[in-house]
Amino acid sequence: MAKLLLKNLYKRYENKKRKKGEALNAFAVNNFSLECEDGEFIGILGPSGCGKTTTLRMIAGLEDITDGEIIIGDTVVNNVAPHNRGIGLAFEDYALYPPLTVYENIAFNLRAKHVKNEIIKAEINRIAPLLKVDDLLHMKPGKLSGGQKQRVNIARAIVRKPQLLLLDEPMSHLDGKMRQVLRTEIKRLHNEIMCTTIIVTHDQLEAMSLVDKLAIMKDGELQQYGTPFEVYDNPVNEFVAGFIGEPPMNILTVEVQKKESSFFFKFQDANILIPVPQRFYSVVQDGMLVRLGVRPTDVLIVGEDSKGSDVSISVFENLGEERKISFRVGEGFLTLITSDDKRYKQGDIVKLEVKSEKTHLFDVKTGEKIIAQ
Amino acid sequence: MAKIELYNITKKFGNITALDNINFEVQDKEFFVLFGPAGAGKTTILKTIAGIEFPDKGEVRINDKNVNMVEPAKRDISMVFENYALYPHLTVYDNIASPMRSPLHKQDEETVKKEVHRVASMMKIDHLLDRLPSQVSNGQRQRTALGRCLVRDPNVFLMDEPIAHLDAKLRHFMRAELKEMQSEFDTTTIYVTHDYMEALSLGDRIAIINEGKILQIGTGDEVYLTPANEFVAKFMGEPEINIFDIELEDETQVKMLGQERSYTIEEDVAEVIKEGEHKNIRIGLRGNDIAFSFNKENEEYIKGQVYSVEPIGNKTILVVDVNGQLLRLIAPNDLQANIDDEIFVRIKMKKAMFFDGDDYKYIYRHNQNELLGVE
Repeated sequence: MAKLLLKNLYKRYENKKRKKGEALNAFAVNNFSLECEDGEFIGILGPSGCGKTTTLRMIAGLEDITDGEIIIGDTVVNNVAPHNRGIGLAFEDYALYPPLTVYENIAFNLRAKHVKNEIIKAEINRIAPLLKVDDLLHMKPGKLSGGQKQRVNIARAIVRKPQLLLLDEPMSHLDGKMRQVLRTEIKRLHNEIMCTTIIVTHDQLEAMSLVDKLAIMKDGELQQYGTPFEVYDNPVNEFVAGFIGEPPMNILTVEVQKKESSFFFKFQDANILIPVPQRFYSVVQDGMLVRLGVRPTDVLIVGEDSKGSDVSISVFENLGEERKISFRVGEGFLTLITSDDKRYKQGDIVKLEVKSEKTHLFDVKTGEKIIAQ
Repeated sequence: MAKIELYNITKKFGNITALDNINFEVQDKEFFVLFGPAGAGKTTILKTIAGIEFPDKGEVRINDKNVNMVEPAKRDISMVFENYALYPHLTVYDNIASPMRSPLHKQDEETVKKEVHRVASMMKIDHLLDRLPSQVSNGQRQRTALGRCLVRDPNVFLMDEPIAHLDAKLRHFMRAELKEMQSEFDTTTIYVTHDYMEALSLGDRIAIINEGKILQIGTGDEVYLTPANEFVAKFMGEPEINIFDIELEDETQVKMLGQERSYTIEEDVAEVIKEGEHKNIRIGLRGNDIAFSFNKENEEYIKGQVYSVEPIGNKTILVVDVNGQLLRLIAPNDLQANIDDEIFVRIKMKKAMFFDGDDYKYIYRHNQNELLGVE
């Protein structure tokens, strides 16, 4: 177990057939720095192509580093061979050895290191119950379900007592139910062994539910690093705001309008007015365009006698636990989620209010968060 | 405009029974959803209606007429595929016009123009007619594909997971788009999906299919609130419903979760269980139907341990271990709890569903008729 430090990490895949004068490839990972404490569970999250797997592969030593430093414990491992880095790896596909039993699969790495049989046995007996594979030890991989295979795969990674456990999309092959169960088990496992762990995933629910801290990447660059709640509640830019949360945050362009001494946000292409929260008064002006972000759970239908705007319902969806109501705004929707049981239909007029303390403003051009004074 | 009927449809591929005696009737202008896991037979049903697959047994009827021997092209059916299959080199206008230029449904250009404009304004894409599919947004592309189907005024729309390939975020948006346009279709639609939220959101009625059999047909409320069996209950909703055995002590008292004390089931439920002479009973509780507290607020609260805490943005999935039974609860997103903390849960008996422990079929729930709005 060890802490992990990534210092100004860069990765550029070289274009071997590059002609003279042609530009170099863009950085796949661009000035990425991260500090991960001993025993922490970190998630790297981002859309496909954002550089998250490249980062993981560089930590594992499977990919050269263009520039920067990787430090595991107190050692700079840039030039340490992968098998000497003390890393346990579990990939998306399990790559178990089909002719070997589960027991032998888990034992394989230890056998390669000539660990004594008794020790191997003791280790497997310790690990197997943690991952609930103790009943499967005599079976061959062909007989296992996807979820069981992934458990064996993870068991194989942690039996070596790695300093660092790396998980690359471990649940993306599994169906909904298996995912839910394995997610819970991985969370329990981490709590049990407290091994510093990094998981790479494109599934934000998976990432948020598991980790202590989340690193969100886009185009090779780190966007935000914080606890899941911080990232959800206080996103630093429009990308993070839109990426985290399901259903996604409403982010719509609004115009600031001044009426007497009060400011309002006016939605484009829709007759919805929302009072600007006091804390934004110093950063808005009449006629200014901003991107207004508000989560679907922070838009409310309020009683007849309240101040909100009258709006016609475009879509009402009853989704079992909750109901989703959407209002047409130009090419998009303003959407709200409620657990209220009341049923509406298309065309019903309701009064809308937005929880003003839960609104976010982003710059129309840069997408950066506009900070209230 | 048409009524579609499937009567005793059976289809085998080699030894595998893909469809096992499928029966249903879709009313004129109804939006009917076929919902089930991968491999359930949903797409095979769709293909059978389209005439691309031929049933071994049974009849497909369109407007009370057996169409088994009618060629696919002559059934007047319009299909929307997962990737919309727009012609990339044709403008939105020409894409929408294309069915009316095919040999089978040929129209004069004057009619084509009128129809394209009618459909385009209905789909709110009339300002995009000169653009290529690559130059319009995802939502507009979907509307173009639907518009292309609408110009023909077919008997029935068949849609095979039209938005399944999109990421979760876009799917939320496109689902709302589809639903908004639904009232404009005015055409019988059969829609295949494996996403329960799509099924609940879009379907006038939903048929739940597994292993080639129909398990239940009903409205969203019917299948969600009163699922025909445990499979249907588990397939709808996230997190998955909690179902476990309970022990019937007498007519109204049950024991559960290894507790000393007994719990009272609602009178109407007790009556149905008694009448049905059910011996083994299981209880089903969705994530919202179990309350929790970190103090034993009253004797109804049962002690357990926090097994896992999984925040997922706007809520937290809380897994509680009560005497070896794991329960998944929905909690607020700012919940502070650690693994192995002591916690107390309360079963909301008024919200519980009851299943038979022998055949896993649904029995009853409290106030069922009021919930479904039936007299």
